[in-house]
Amino acid sequence: MNNVIELRSISKEFKEFSFDSIDLQIKQGYTTGLIGANGTGKTTLIKLIMNLLKPDEGEVRLFGLDYATHEKSIKDRIGFVFDSNIFYESLKLKDISRIIAPAYTQWDSDQFQAYVDRFELPLNKPIKHFSKGMQMKASIALALSHHAELIIMDEPTAGLDPTFRRELLDIFQEEMLNENRSIFFSTHTTSDLERFADYIVLIDQGEILFHERMDELQEKYVLVKGSNELLDRDTEAYFVHIERTQNLFQALTTDPAQVQQVFGEYVVLEKASLDDIMFHMKAAHRQQLNK
Amino acid sequence: MFNLIKKDLVIQKSQILLFIPFIMFFAIFGDHMSPFFIFLISSLYIPLNGYIYDEQVESNILLNSLPYLRKEIVAAKYIGSVVYMILSIVVASIILYIFDFSFTFRDVAIAAGLFFIFTAVAFPLFYVLKPGYIGVAALSGLVVFAILLSPVLEFIEKHLTSITEFITSLSTTALYLSGAAISIGLFLVSWIVSQMIYQRKVF
Repeated sequence: MNNVIELRSISKEFKEFSFDSIDLQIKQGYTTGLIGANGTGKTTLIKLIMNLLKPDEGEVRLFGLDYATHEKSIKDRIGFVFDSNIFYESLKLKDISRIIAPAYTQWDSDQFQAYVDRFELPLNKPIKHFSKGMQMKASIALALSHHAELIIMDEPTAGLDPTFRRELLDIFQEEMLNENRSIFFSTHTTSDLERFADYIVLIDQGEILFHERMDELQEKYVLVKGSNELLDRDTEAYFVHIERTQNLFQALTTDPAQVQQVFGEYVVLEKASLDDIMFHMKAAHRQQLNK
Repeated sequence: MFNLIKKDLVIQKSQILLFIPFIMFFAIFGDHMSPFFIFLISSLYIPLNGYIYDEQVESNILLNSLPYLRKEIVAAKYIGSVVYMILSIVVASIILYIFDFSFTFRDVAIAAGLFFIFTAVAFPLFYVLKPGYIGVAALSGLVVFAILLSPVLEFIEKHLTSITEFITSLSTTALYLSGAAISIGLFLVSWIVSQMIYQRKVF
């Protein structure tokens, strides 16, 4: 299986956090979701992948090619959606498409027109009068109109109403019917991922906490609920992280069989949602950092 | 590359409509102004506006997400500015001619020389300056440039007689050639500097 994105021991220092020799391989032909709290490195990681930022050390490869010698051909094959507006605000969508279209070797104006019709976008209205949702739609229409093999999106569903969000996910799913295509996108909304991501990458403070298949993730991590009295130094070791409320605890485990054996009927085992997994993994990581 | 140069025209379509009345204004009311200054302002109009537009949004993220090299983005600015300078001077000459505003080829030559010097200093700064300051910087730079120009020339004339004597001793052709060589040389050095700055830039 080929990797569409490959980061090899990337290091980059920032004030708030740093990437310390991280590795990441994103598989070709799948949808990979990048999750993590605000300000923990999602946008930075995307900028590193897009070569908007250069790593202090390490190598970024896309489609097996490096940026030093293949920057143009790499970017020709990427459709990019950024989370804030990067288009000239006073321009009409038509003019923006005139700037962007000639940049790509495979620009498809029929495809673009089809998206404009489908999203009901006004071609002759300046971008600054677009709502946040419309700006995002415009950005997506532009990103999907040059037969890109890899779509990279930073928070594409942020600021969209639920109906359009769903419509958008359907569009991405249609796009993914093309076998060679890959999608890599960051999001806050874990329900987006539960619906259509194949792989999930969780990032916190510049560290990749896991990179797993969506279906395996939900087999691997199980939520355990029970009374606080059950917890002591020995039993706590079975959990990734424990959240205590007054009398009850809720914890995440990667070893449900063992937990079942030890606690028997005193605890309840539940399927962990992506939100639960994200919450506990992040909290565990922060605890570790503070030690 | 050609697309990047054309882009600067597309993004300021509405401003370009103002270009002709802008020069007409000078042609009618600027009779006390040197024609070379009118040429200089007109030649800087599109390139400076291009930078001002670019900094208003994170256009660097847009341009760098498209299949362009950083090298090309900088080159387009420099080559584009020369192209727009020539076009603007042609348009300005026609307008001045129509309005019977007398000027000579010398005015055009001086304007072009000053254009190269001004952009050579300004463009690298635009890549260093924080977004939001380029418009202000360009405008104040131009004002300072205009104010300082004649006193500096006068000062040279008065106190550095050896220089002026040397200059007047040169033939017109030698004068034009050396002026062109110096200003274009500065412009090329500036191009290399801008390129180095832009390569290291973080978006």
